[in-house]
Amino acid sequence: MDTSNWARGMSAHEPIIRLDQVRLTLQSRAGPVEVLRGIDLAVAAASSVGVVGPSGSGKSSLLMVIAGLERPTSGRVMVAGQAYDGLGEDALARLRGQSIGIVFQSFHLVPTMTAIENVALPLELKRHREPFVVARRALEDVGLGHRADHFPAELSGGEQQRVAIARAVAPEPRVLLADEPTGNLDARTGGEVIRLLFDLRARLGMTLLLVTHDASLARRTERRITVGDGLIVADERIEATA
Amino acid sequence: MTSLALLEAAARPAGPTWLRLFRIALRDLRGGVKRLLVLVLSVTLGVAAITAVGALTDALEAGFERQGRQLLGGDLDISRIHERVPMAVAAVLAAKGRTGEVATLRAMVRNPQGRDGAGQALVELKAVDGAYPLLGEVMLADGRPLQQVIEGGARAVVDPLLLERLGLEVGDRVLLGEVEVELAATLVSEPDKLSGQASYGPRLLISLATLGRSGLAGAGSLVRWHQRLLLPRGENLDALELQAIGTGLRKSFPAAGLNVADRREPVPGARQAVERFSQFLTLVGLTSLLIGGLGIANAVTAYLDRKRKVIATMRALGATSSDVLKIYAIETSLLVLPGIAAGLAIGLGVPSLIGASLGAALPIGLEPRIGIGTVLLGITYGLLVAALFVLWPLGRIEEVRGAVLFRDELAGESRLPRWPYLAATIAALALLVGVALATSSDHRLTLYVIAGVGGVLALFLGLGWSLQRLAGAVPRPRRAELAIALRNIAGPGSLARLTSLSLGLGLGILVTVALVDRSLMSELGSGLQGKAPSYYLLDIGRRQIDELSRRIAAEAPGSRLSTAPMLRGRLVALDGRPVEEIEAPEEAQWVLRGDRGLTFAADPPTGSTIVAGAWWAPDHAGEPLVSFDAELAGQLGLEVGSTLVVNVLGRNVTARIANLRTVEWEELAINFVMIFSPNTLAAAPYNFLATLTYDTPPTVAAEGRLMQGLVNAFPNVTAIRVKDAIEAVNGIIERVLMAIRLASGVTLLAGAIVLAGALATAEQRRTYQAVVLRVLGAQRRQILLSHLAEYALIASAVAFAAITVGTAAAYAITSWVMDVGFVFDWRAVAQSLALALALMLIFGLRGTSRVLKARPMSHLENE
Repeated sequence: MDTSNWARGMSAHEPIIRLDQVRLTLQSRAGPVEVLRGIDLAVAAASSVGVVGPSGSGKSSLLMVIAGLERPTSGRVMVAGQAYDGLGEDALARLRGQSIGIVFQSFHLVPTMTAIENVALPLELKRHREPFVVARRALEDVGLGHRADHFPAELSGGEQQRVAIARAVAPEPRVLLADEPTGNLDARTGGEVIRLLFDLRARLGMTLLLVTHDASLARRTERRITVGDGLIVADERIEATA
Repeated sequence: MTSLALLEAAARPAGPTWLRLFRIALRDLRGGVKRLLVLVLSVTLGVAAITAVGALTDALEAGFERQGRQLLGGDLDISRIHERVPMAVAAVLAAKGRTGEVATLRAMVRNPQGRDGAGQALVELKAVDGAYPLLGEVMLADGRPLQQVIEGGARAVVDPLLLERLGLEVGDRVLLGEVEVELAATLVSEPDKLSGQASYGPRLLISLATLGRSGLAGAGSLVRWHQRLLLPRGENLDALELQAIGTGLRKSFPAAGLNVADRREPVPGARQAVERFSQFLTLVGLTSLLIGGLGIANAVTAYLDRKRKVIATMRALGATSSDVLKIYAIETSLLVLPGIAAGLAIGLGVPSLIGASLGAALPIGLEPRIGIGTVLLGITYGLLVAALFVLWPLGRIEEVRGAVLFRDELAGESRLPRWPYLAATIAALALLVGVALATSSDHRLTLYVIAGVGGVLALFLGLGWSLQRLAGAVPRPRRAELAIALRNIAGPGSLARLTSLSLGLGLGILVTVALVDRSLMSELGSGLQGKAPSYYLLDIGRRQIDELSRRIAAEAPGSRLSTAPMLRGRLVALDGRPVEEIEAPEEAQWVLRGDRGLTFAADPPTGSTIVAGAWWAPDHAGEPLVSFDAELAGQLGLEVGSTLVVNVLGRNVTARIANLRTVEWEELAINFVMIFSPNTLAAAPYNFLATLTYDTPPTVAAEGRLMQGLVNAFPNVTAIRVKDAIEAVNGIIERVLMAIRLASGVTLLAGAIVLAGALATAEQRRTYQAVVLRVLGAQRRQILLSHLAEYALIASAVAFAAITVGTAAAYAITSWVMDVGFVFDWRAVAQSLALALALMLIFGLRGTSRVLKARPMSHLENE
């Protein structure tokens, strides 16, 4: 697997994620809610960033904006060299298929599909030639090769999250976004999942943006951003990474 | 990847292949078929109903085609009333192939030993020559050939029913006109049974020689004489060639008053009647498909709602909206197509099923076949209705964004899909109406039915909406069960609208049919008592009429006898135009087809009102004049001063319309479309028609004695009991109403499926509600009661609306279309109310029992 930035046609110094003055206001029945209030952020390629902050601070919304699942009310977003301005929903979907993998707190596996079918799904959508060969390898990478034909309901929470991680990394995205990936798991299983996530990131050279409210988890990343009330209130480099 | 490369990727038109999307759809559908079963069932039922009607029509038409020759008794049947088909015509026919002569009439047979009403009976008499039957075989119970039995002596073959009526056995003798006939054998079947007119009595088969000796075929008698022709290569004869022979004969013998039928239409008007009725039933079938469509829409919406997170996941993983749309379009098609296929299979199987179960009871053998038109129509309607109801929910897939995975939408979603989906939905509706119109020969009826169904559906949608609003507006009742029931009706996911839509129309049609049926039966039965005559007496000779009147006055003092001279003749031309060239509206075509009764009178008959022109002087001696039925004159474009030509006994008579009359046909008194001035027809040989009306009904025995006396004294006179005639008509109406009832039953079944689907989709929400209520201390009994109250309230409201709509429709149909008095029937109301309650409670309580069995723990955890 070629993971160098050079091979991907981008300078090592160019940020792979870049947000300029991003604001997000959502409409609710009680009136508009300002979720993000002017975020500036640049994330270097192949780095790992932890995003922390209290509930409702805007962490997940920030992740959604980066994933192209939510359009900012104002400001600019650029991921993997592609500015989001003017891109339609479908172009953003294709961009995700090409460059962004997402891991959710609630796994969001398709319940009617087996583990391997779930993992193969994004590959099939991007017309990969051998989606099931790659999917099986990805499942073996997360230690679930033997559970490939099981449905989500037949897997434990930890196993489900490992399938979700395999699904996110199988298309070899350049950016991996993880939203509270251990939020629905017990401490031991959560620890295993995090170890797996960081191993894969290191091996595949992906950029990892990890949203968590667990400070110890965030400390395993190279950089920690603290979000509060829709703004970045702290941005620190962390010496010891996982 | 450079941004340029990415843009190229983004601009790439092709996404995953259809095959891949198909595989993804198959995986996504796992376990979902059960949730979409309503979709399959709705499509299947609707398509089956439409296909069954089409297949039955095809089978009937194929039956007519295949059995046409046999039913007609040849390739061509030339007939006329009163007089034999001219020798010259018979000679032309004989030069073309084998011919045979048949005479048919109604007559009385008398049992010399019979007592008190068992002494005489009306028969459908058929007299045949030695060539009969030209085609097929007459089956007798004793296995002998027909000709061997009836040839050379006064012997008859008889329907066993006559033996039963008269208490006779094979070998006994009866009086037929002036001849004593031996009932020599019983009839099992005759090949050309259908070609006669409506049957009022059992069959009696004799030879033409015996008919001659009976004296029943005298001048002016209502005998229909047939010459039948069997062509040597008849089966292979082109339809046009066949038609040409008939037309040629009519042209060569313009004044002969010939009635021509060929094997393509052995029963005149039957094909047209079948076609019209089948079109009507197809529309009813389409209605059930449309109602099923509500179930389709509801099931697909519920299914896609459950799939929101899966759709969002696909979007997050890189699926475009078009990919997702294709996946769910494939899933829907995977269910719609088998639904259509199953519907086609069931529908096409119906004629075989009916043939196998009713077989011998049918007047014509069904010839099941797969009609391409029928199959295409079933597929087209199935696809269009599916598109009509699926495009809307599918269009809303686009609204599901990946953001759903992170949070529920904050703002309220728009309920309308984007314009392309709306446009496609409207196009599907327009196509549906277009196909319905294009496949119908009666556009007005089709438009009425479509507008009616649309209007009624809108009405029931309004009812559901109002019910929901009303439930929310009434003050909260003290009883918790009732309060919960009202909240459920008023709240989101309420069953009110869907129930109203799905059951309302079916119930409405059922009420309409029941009330129309009741009104018709009432009109034909009790409604006529007092005004309607008890007997029609046919073929009373001119010299017999005075004696017959005297005898009735003496023997039945409480009765009235009305008499009129009667001949039969056919219209040849109106205002100089041959009737074949006149394009009359359908309701007036019967006047131009075949023979009509004609009479002449010095004074206007009772029950008639002159609305235009004036009646002639009693001693009018100038130009022949005629009085015409006003309504028919309007439909045929005739007015006072118009001329018409009728062929009577082989002579063309031209007369000018002197006046127009309105006629009270319902009273069944003697009346005619055309009444001529006496100088026009008095010279022709004619007989009398009479009606006998009792002011006070006599005892059965007295009535029997009178009739026996009359028939013995006047052997050539035929007495038809009006009650029997009405029963014969009732039988036909009952069969038609039964078919409509069956069709409306299918509509109701479609509604029930929709209702079941609606209750199934609501089950999860209702279970959660019940669980919360139980956590809060509600007893099962209370929850059950609240559900019962909810179902009962909705069902009652829908039933009452259906009764109102049905009653209004029945009133309109009886008063304006059928012109009979409307009769309200509480039984129809009770039936509809009970049916609505039963359906709602059966399906509802099935769901409720599951709701009550649910374990609170699992549901609270899941939420």
